[in-house]
Amino acid sequence: MDQNGFPEKVAYYTGCLATLSAKELDSSTRSLAVRLGLELETLEAVTCCGAGDIHEAEPDYYLHLNARILAYAEATGAETLMTICNVCTLNLRQANWQLKIDDQLRARVSRNLEAVGVPAYSGGVEVRHLLWLVAEGEGHERLKAAAHRGLRGLRVAPFYGCQILRPSKLMGFEDPDRPWSLEAIIQACGGEAVDYPAKIKCCGFPIIAAREETALGELIQPIEQAIEAGADAMVTPCPLCHLSLDAWQQKLEAATGREFRLPILHLAQLIGVAAGIEESELRFKRHVVSVDPVLDKLAT
Amino acid sequence: MQVALKIWRYDGETGERRLQDYELDAPEWATLLDVLDLIKDQVDGSLAYRKSCRMMICGSCGMRMDGAAVLACKMRMAEVVDAGRVPVISPMGNLPVVKDLVVDMEPFWAKMRAMQPWLRPGYNEADEEREFLVSQEQMNVIHKEALCINCGCCVSECNSMESDPDFLGPAALAKGMRFVGDARDAATVERLEAYNSEHGIWDCTRCYFCQERCPKGVDPRDAIAKLGAESIRHGVDRDMGAKHAKWFVQSAKTTGWLREEELIPKTQGWVSTVKQVQFAMSLMRKGKARPLPIPHVAEGVEEARALYDLVKEQGRDGALGIVQGEHALARIEFTEEGGARRAAPEIEPGVEPPPAEG
Repeated sequence: MDQNGFPEKVAYYTGCLATLSAKELDSSTRSLAVRLGLELETLEAVTCCGAGDIHEAEPDYYLHLNARILAYAEATGAETLMTICNVCTLNLRQANWQLKIDDQLRARVSRNLEAVGVPAYSGGVEVRHLLWLVAEGEGHERLKAAAHRGLRGLRVAPFYGCQILRPSKLMGFEDPDRPWSLEAIIQACGGEAVDYPAKIKCCGFPIIAAREETALGELIQPIEQAIEAGADAMVTPCPLCHLSLDAWQQKLEAATGREFRLPILHLAQLIGVAAGIEESELRFKRHVVSVDPVLDKLAT
Repeated sequence: MQVALKIWRYDGETGERRLQDYELDAPEWATLLDVLDLIKDQVDGSLAYRKSCRMMICGSCGMRMDGAAVLACKMRMAEVVDAGRVPVISPMGNLPVVKDLVVDMEPFWAKMRAMQPWLRPGYNEADEEREFLVSQEQMNVIHKEALCINCGCCVSECNSMESDPDFLGPAALAKGMRFVGDARDAATVERLEAYNSEHGIWDCTRCYFCQERCPKGVDPRDAIAKLGAESIRHGVDRDMGAKHAKWFVQSAKTTGWLREEELIPKTQGWVSTVKQVQFAMSLMRKGKARPLPIPHVAEGVEEARALYDLVKEQGRDGALGIVQGEHALARIEFTEEGGARRAAPEIEPGVEPPPAEG
C-alpha cells in the first residue's frame, strides 16, 4: 500500500448481486480497475455475506460466513478486501471488528474455520469500499487522470444509501450527516453534484419484498427530490440501492401515476463513462430505466 | 464564546411557523440546553422546550440540530462554534409538534405500552432462598437495551416510521428485547408473536439511523435483529420478513450465493408472485432475472454447509450470536482507526443538508 492509502492489489469481493442481477457492476468495476492501475484478485471460494438477513436469522452463522470470506482474503496476501456494495461493506466490517478486537472470539471462530478446511483468520485485512479508495489521496489522483473524457457538467444526484454511512463508528470514513465522497468523485469526473436531503436516507430495499408499501414510501423520497433538484441522473455505490431505485421505479410510477424516468448509475459506471470505457463493459442495456438521455447529453 | 443559532418556532394555536435567529454570549462549556436556557432567561421567554435533569438521564430534551436528533444537554456548543456553523434547531421528527421544540410524546408512549413493558415471571413467589439470581452472562443479553432513557432520538429519524407511522419503531422494539431477553420473563413466545405483527420487527428497513442517533448506546437496530433471531429460534417465523431472512440462510447453505430469483416467491408465496408477472418480465428483458433460475454455486460451498452444522452444535443461537460481538463493538471508538472520520477535503459538497422541519 502506498503512503496515501492506495493499494496496488486488493482481494476483490463481488458480493451476490454483481454476479447476477447487477452483472454490469462487476464488468464496469473490472474495466475501471485496469484504468486505475488496481490489480484485482477475485475471491472465488466465498459465499454471500448474509446481508442483514443472516445477521438477523442466524447471527453466529453470519459471523462465521464473514470470517471465512476474510480468511480467504487474507490468504491472498492482500491487505485490503475491496467491496462494491454497501451491505457487504457493513457486514464484513462489523464481523472484522469483532474478530480483530476480541481475541477469544477470533480463536473460537478460527478453530471452527480450520475444522472445515478453511484457513484461520488472524485479523490482518481491512475492508474498504471502492468509493473510499477513489475519494481521496492517490486513488483520487488516479481517478482524475483516468476520467479524461469528463461528464460535460452533467447534473448528478449522489445517493449514498445507509450502510456505507451508518453506523459511522463501524465505517470510520466520513461524517454520516455531511458526507462528501460521492460529490468529490462527481466533480473530479467533470459533473455537477446536485444536493437534496434524502441523499443519506434509505432506499427501502431491505423490506421491499416483505413490506413493499413501506419501502416504496422511502424510495420515492430520493427520486422525487433529485428530480426536483434538476438531476440528469443519480449515482449510488450500492447495487441493492441500484436495484431498488432502477427496477422498482416503475412500481413507484404505477403507484403514483407519475413519470420519473430517472437514470440510475452504479459508481463504477459513472466513473467509467468519464473514463471513456466502452458500452460493452458498462452494459447500460441491463438497466430497467433507460440511460440513453444521459448518453445523448454527453454525446452532444 | 459568541453562539449563533436559528430555531424553528411553532405556534400550535395559529399554526404559524417561522425560523428565528438568535445570537448571544455563552460560556465555553455551554451545551445546547444551556444556550436555550440563556435565551429563555435573557432574550425570549416565550421559547418552549422540554428539560429536567440536565445530565443525560431523564431523556426530556431530545431535539434536532441540523436535522439530526440530539439530547440538548449532551451537545457541547464549542465544537459547533469552532467549526463556524450556525446550527438550525428544530423539534424531533415522527412526532406531532405541540409548540416550538416540544413534541407530543403520546404516540411514543402508546407504542411503549403495546410492548407490555413489565416483567411477566413464570413463578408466583421466589424460591426458598428468596432470590432469583440472574447471572452476569444472562444480564449481558439485555444490558444495552436496559440503558434506554426514552428520549425518542432514535424514533425521530426512523425511516420506516416516516413511511409507516404505525411501525412500532426502534425505542419500543428495544424495550421489547429488554423483556424477551430477560431470564426471569416467561412470556417470551407470546411477546415474540405480538412483536411479529404487521408493524413490528420485520418493518425495520435497517437504515441504522436509530443506532447513529441513540445518545446512550442502546443500539436499537441490533436489538431488533436480536428479536428477529429470537423469533426464528422459537419458530415464530410466519411473517414475510422472517421467510425473507431464512431464505438467505438456505441460500448460503445450498449454493453459497443468494438465490436472488427465488427470493420473492420464497418471501411472498407463489400466488402473490404470479400476480407480478409483468414486473418479472420487465426484469427478465434486462437480464436481471431468468425464466428458469439455475443457481450459481459458489466454489467450496461444502465448507459453508459444514460450518452451519458446526455452528448449530455450539448452541449460540438467537440473540446470543449478536451479544457475543457487543464487547468488541463497544471498544471501537477507543481504537486508533475506529471512529476516525475525515472532514471534506477542498471540495464544495454543495449546500449543507437542508434542515429537517418539525
